Amino acid sequence: MNRLEDELKLALRRVDPPEGFAERVLARVASKETPKASPAHWWLHAFGSVQLRWAAVCAMCVSLAVSGALYQRAADRRRGEAAKEQLMLALRITGSKLQIAEQSLKELDSSGRPER
Amino acid sequence: MTIAASVLATTQLNFEDLVRENQRMVFSIAYRFLRNAAAAEEVAQDVFLDLFKKLGSLESRAHASFWLRRVACHRSIDYARRNKTAAAEISWDLLEEPSGQALENDPFLSRRLQQLVAGLPEKMRMVVILRYQEDAQLEEIADVMEIPLNTVKSTLHRAHAMLRARVETLGVRP
Repeated sequence: MNRLEDELKLALRRVDPPEGFAERVLARVASKETPKASPAHWWLHAFGSVQLRWAAVCAMCVSLAVSGALYQRAADRRRGEAAKEQLMLALRITGSKLQIAEQSLKELDSSGRPER
Repeated sequence: MTIAASVLATTQLNFEDLVRENQRMVFSIAYRFLRNAAAAEEVAQDVFLDLFKKLGSLESRAHASFWLRRVACHRSIDYARRNKTAAAEISWDLLEEPSGQALENDPFLSRRLQQLVAGLPEKMRMVVILRYQEDAQLEEIADVMEIPLNTVKSTLHRAHAMLRARVETLGVRP
């Protein structure tokens, strides 16, 4: 190896990076690697404040109560209509039975009465 | 700690080790090539960010070091081309002349050589940096720079001739 090469080795020695270089690299990597909010977390972020969360819970309770009441009312109406149907059917059956009995009585009257 | 978290912690530990082990090499390549500390730090940081993305595909520390050296070279060259740094445009005619006859152990010879190397054409400059800063063999330089071995030999030969001629005109006989 000649002198020029020796001098080049001396001149081109490695240099130290600036103070804190590795830390800055690690910080950049950490900032790039911060996980993005997943879709599952999105709505939680939207309701970030405690007041908003309580308001959401209250709204959900009210809507559940209203839905329950409406459902109960519809069920009552369905039960009432079914009872009315049954009553009407019973009345129709009773009416037809009475008609048959009346017809039989009329027939007995006309055939069994002695002549004067 | 979940499995994913522990894997991430291990990866980060290895990455941190690689940064600390190779920061001097990566920064020096960029600094010697660009002759600008801020630009060299920017390039070196980008090289390590690339390493982090690539970490899973690197097999060993030696592989990572080789990969870092290669990426540092190419990123430095790209940066110089994009930004046309002062280092890339140094003209030998503008370099300071010695005030008198240089001595055998001129303490300023190293600085002059650094300036002369900074004035070399890009590819030649990188070959010289890899050869004398990184003490790389010619085959390694060919691998890192992705050029034929004969091109490395001829480039280094021409670099020697140019540097020797210039150093002689500065009054030093290497």
